[in-house]
Amino acid sequence: MLFIQMARAQQNTGKLISGDFNKASIGQFVTDIEAKTSYHFYYDVTEFDSLKITLQVNNKPLDVVLDMAFNNTDFHYAIDQNKIFLTKGRQIKTDLAPGFSAAAPLSISNNQNNSVADYTEDKEKKVPEATTENKLYEIGTKTNTIAPGNSILSGYVRDIKSGEAVVGASIYFPSTKTGVATDQFGYFTITVPRGRQILVIRGLGMRDTRRQIILYTDGKLNIDLQEQVNTLKEVKISADKVANVRSPELGVSRLTIATIKQIPAAFGEADVLRVVLTLPGVKTVGEATTGFNVRGGAADENLILLDGATIYNPAHFFGFFAAFNPDLVKDIELYKSSIPEKYGGRLSSVLEINNREGNKKIFTGSAGIGLLTSRFNIEGPIVKDKTSFIFGARTTYSDWLLSLLPEAYKHSSASFNDFNLGISHQIDDKNNIYLTGYLSNDKFKLNSDTQYSYSNKSAALKWKHNFNNKLYSLISVGDDHYQYDINSTLNPVNAFDLGFKINQANFRADFTYYISNKHTLDFGVNSILYKLNPGTFEPDGSQSLVVPQVVPAEQALESGIYLGDKYDVSSNLTINAGVRFNVYNYLGPQTIDQYAANLPREPANVIDSTTYKSGKVINTYSAPDIRLQARYLLGDDISIKGGYNTMHQYIHLLSNSTSISPTDVYKLSDPNIKPEHGDQVSLGLFKNARQNTIEMSVEVYYKRIRDYLDYKSGAVLLLNEHIEQDVINTQGKAYGAEFLIKKTAGKLNGWVSYTYSRTFLRQDDPNAGELINNGAYYPANWDEPHAFNFTGNYKFTHRYSISLDLNYNTGRPITLPVAKYEYAGSERVFYSDRNEYRIPYYFRSDFSLNIEGNHRVHQKTHNSWTIGVYNLTGRQNAYSTFFTEQSGVISGYKLSIFASPIPFVNYNIRF
Amino acid sequence: MNSTLTKIYYSTLLLTVTVGCRKPYNPPAITAPNSYLVVEGIINSGSDSTIIQLSRTVNLSSGTTNNPVTGASVSVQSNTNTSYPLTETSTGHYSVAGLNLSNTQTYRLSIITAQNQQYKSDFEPVKVSPPVDSVGFAILSDGMQLYVNTHDPNNNTHYYRWEYAETWQFHSEYFSGFVTDGTEIVPRTQSQLIYNCFGNDTNSDIVLGSSAKLTSDVIYQGPLVKVGSTSEKLETKYSILVTQYALTSDAYTFYTNLKKNTEQLGSIFDAQPSEIAGNIHNVNNATEPVLGYISVGTTQSKRIFVSNSQLPSSWTATYPYQCQEDTFYYSAPVNHQNQVATNLVQANSDIIPTFAVYSRGTSSIIGFLASDAQCVDCTLRGTTTQPGFWK
Repeated sequence: MLFIQMARAQQNTGKLISGDFNKASIGQFVTDIEAKTSYHFYYDVTEFDSLKITLQVNNKPLDVVLDMAFNNTDFHYAIDQNKIFLTKGRQIKTDLAPGFSAAAPLSISNNQNNSVADYTEDKEKKVPEATTENKLYEIGTKTNTIAPGNSILSGYVRDIKSGEAVVGASIYFPSTKTGVATDQFGYFTITVPRGRQILVIRGLGMRDTRRQIILYTDGKLNIDLQEQVNTLKEVKISADKVANVRSPELGVSRLTIATIKQIPAAFGEADVLRVVLTLPGVKTVGEATTGFNVRGGAADENLILLDGATIYNPAHFFGFFAAFNPDLVKDIELYKSSIPEKYGGRLSSVLEINNREGNKKIFTGSAGIGLLTSRFNIEGPIVKDKTSFIFGARTTYSDWLLSLLPEAYKHSSASFNDFNLGISHQIDDKNNIYLTGYLSNDKFKLNSDTQYSYSNKSAALKWKHNFNNKLYSLISVGDDHYQYDINSTLNPVNAFDLGFKINQANFRADFTYYISNKHTLDFGVNSILYKLNPGTFEPDGSQSLVVPQVVPAEQALESGIYLGDKYDVSSNLTINAGVRFNVYNYLGPQTIDQYAANLPREPANVIDSTTYKSGKVINTYSAPDIRLQARYLLGDDISIKGGYNTMHQYIHLLSNSTSISPTDVYKLSDPNIKPEHGDQVSLGLFKNARQNTIEMSVEVYYKRIRDYLDYKSGAVLLLNEHIEQDVINTQGKAYGAEFLIKKTAGKLNGWVSYTYSRTFLRQDDPNAGELINNGAYYPANWDEPHAFNFTGNYKFTHRYSISLDLNYNTGRPITLPVAKYEYAGSERVFYSDRNEYRIPYYFRSDFSLNIEGNHRVHQKTHNSWTIGVYNLTGRQNAYSTFFTEQSGVISGYKLSIFASPIPFVNYNIRF
Repeated sequence: MNSTLTKIYYSTLLLTVTVGCRKPYNPPAITAPNSYLVVEGIINSGSDSTIIQLSRTVNLSSGTTNNPVTGASVSVQSNTNTSYPLTETSTGHYSVAGLNLSNTQTYRLSIITAQNQQYKSDFEPVKVSPPVDSVGFAILSDGMQLYVNTHDPNNNTHYYRWEYAETWQFHSEYFSGFVTDGTEIVPRTQSQLIYNCFGNDTNSDIVLGSSAKLTSDVIYQGPLVKVGSTSEKLETKYSILVTQYALTSDAYTFYTNLKKNTEQLGSIFDAQPSEIAGNIHNVNNATEPVLGYISVGTTQSKRIFVSNSQLPSSWTATYPYQCQEDTFYYSAPVNHQNQVATNLVQANSDIIPTFAVYSRGTSSIIGFLASDAQCVDCTLRGTTTQPGFWK
């Protein structure tokens, strides 16, 4: 403590003083005392300009008054004769050194009075950067006494080396057993009792540490963390080791890039999407397909956000690679059930992929060489500690390899690349700006002259503003774009160029208001303005006779306004309740056909057609979404959670292949196509064991889907100007139970999961005419009841570790032929009811050995090798089975994609 | 290092970029609850005869696909209630000579099976096929692509289907000058020669074309069939007869789906098999699947010839079998067995003599060169009779 008890001088204290000071400046205070006594004050005005004195005294001696005024502050006084010296930081000793005889000086003592020195009217003082464990940091306005009660502590947690925000770091107060996790900007805010506190901070890949503070009033503390250099491959699903049990969320998975990187991938390159498939409740229709299915939802019911930008096609190379650069990705979060109310517009899930911020201190980078791709990234400060950038690029060089292949494959080609750029700038303590850009391109030809290409583009600007400790906002604007193009020029008369585009302009304003330690409000608005060009078909070359066709563009505005409250009812019960109100406007210019009521939507039943002008609202759908979760602690390490969600979706993917392909069509809801909607109820039991290093959970869910769009048999979806005539409203139901055991620390870590789940669809459109399976429920393509996954990593030393990944699931349903006949010169087959049969079960095991270079921190480059085998057992998993005519005879075939063990090697270098 | 990496590239790319690994697959024993009626044919509105085939589906495991429906009563009916009965000319085949129907009326097919189930097609308009402009071929690096050109000056056809019949002249690997008469080997007469033959085949795939997205009703180089450069079809002379059908939009969709379901599955971006609704229905049970689509119209055809001299001289036919000749003696040099008698003389022997082997310096035959039947006898894969159209 700063104050030293000293002997009290007895002289000159005879006169008693009374006074009433309310936020008095030092000048006012001194003048008043001088008027009432014979003392004279000596002090440096500039040192005291921030002091405000609030004090009521009645007939107290001078030294007591001064004690009260300066208690708990850094100010000191000394009385010598009738002179009073006021100082800051150090005290003037009025006595001589020991051995000299003199009158003992006066000093101060702690005093329990209600004097408060108030700094709040002054300029914001510099937020302390807490870097060391043993120092005591003072937070807030220093007061001479610490009032009982709570104050709000907020600030940022950053990496001391790079200045990057540490997301998901937990700040835990052992004295009160409360904690908080940092948000995507590394920001946290928490209410804790005033006084001396110890904070325990745990960050992803960061050394666990603690800080000591003394909290006077609301205040800020920025915490700098040291990177945990030695344990490069540590698995940490969540930084907050108690979050599994304590957070009210259920159906949420968080994975860091460190975890993602240790899972063996087909070509040795960490794959963000492939890891998602190992999580319970996530299914795919095939191992090399774009898209995934979450808890029975279709592939288009997932909102995939890269730093907030919507990515429509998240894969490269027909689905073999995720379109996200693993060197830039920081972590991913998948919401299967507790979807935050700030997100809407998709039925099943939200997958957030967060890229890192650039290093704010020094230039660093990395490069990787794989079998088919190479990648490079560089980052560094533009203005040190203020502005940083990060840039990443990936490309493939498979084309020259294809040319080595036999004649039959020579005419195939495939190439892709992607680029990421992120710039972050700290304007001041309260304002940060983030600029992100993303571009991906794919091109391929599959043994034909037809060239497919597709591309994602997006750019976003975000502004984060802290109004005060309790309220902050994030405003963002952005533009996301997806397009594909199919081009064929072999036959000059039929040469064509087909294009499809989606553009969405986004606006978001998200606010978080920290009312008290019991209530945290999230509220905001967001809007998406869609512009869809659902197909242009144009002649390519002067000889082409192709009639140009342009399917009219579609426009719509999707908006949402939301409010959510995280309410800690008691120490055991937390409720997250939110509502989101969606408004969807379908906008002109457009021509809309009206169909006779209760009749199939066919050309013959069009009774009227209305043309709307540009910008005119053609129709509006609005509906509230409810987001409700609650957690009840049954004990220190066990809790039960429940949730209920409703969702709406206004943009639909129509695909007549089993997986997302670059010829699929997106369609906006319009007067003839209703929005999809669904709801889900889920329940979970969560338990931690062994000092929170083992996390266990069981979750069950039941989900309903309404107005999902299926298409009629043989429908042509591309360039269809009346798609409402070819789609059928479908309802779905899905239910399941997910079991997960996760070990997050130790030499052996990883997780084991088992999922039992079913998904059924049923066409219930009264106006559709002939219905699939006569309107009865049939299993969805992704209905794979049993799924088992083991993902494990064992660290021998800090440099060597091995990973093993096992996957099993029931084969997906297929439609098989049940009879054959002769027609048009060949045997033909007649198919069963849809999805009546299944392909054989799927099993795959992958293995990898990770070798790190030496771990000396101070060296120019760090190297690492990953060597492994994908599909170790070489099982020929069926991707599909099909029956096709060859020379007039029907034969059954099984197609496998990765049908043998695939060895891979990957070299990475960091600098 | 380099070479192993290249190998890895090879293995992974072979598996991925191409059709991956494609293996035969036998599904669990599946039987259809019923067998369904299959109707195939076209109501020929011109002077050619109309032939309708009726059959039923069989189980997938069944050895034969041929399951004709006999004893049905089949007729063509016009929208003005004129009826033209067909007669069963062979098992499951029902036909009538040139109907010469009116192009302004619509027609349907009516079927009453022996079990008294009544089926009717929808009324279909008459689609008159425009003439085939030309049939041509393009030389590709690995074969010959045949194509068809046509157009409709009235801009009225748009949807086309073609059938083709290929005929080719070929020869067996070895010329045979001798034949057994059952008791001994005798020289072949002219009519017994089995070296030069004519092979033929018809299309087993569905060939479609559409000009619906073009400014004029033109099919330019619509692909028909590709003949590989090493095929024996091209070793002497090749001919193709192309028959052109005009389709309605619905019929085109039917054939497109049939093709998708049975010929175009197995790629990475597979379409799901879909139900194929034809235009024939059970009058009393609308939900009963009936397979097939009945169109009404005329056909046009065109034949071309391609002789080997029009093709690159580097193209040489690969004989479809591994062949070699052996010598068979009346008295084998070592053990004096009569190999001719044991191997060649019996009728229907699988080994056929080609040339005589003479005793050195004499004209006395001591044995024969001979080879397997498939290397000698071209009639196993064709006929020695020259077709009437051959020139």
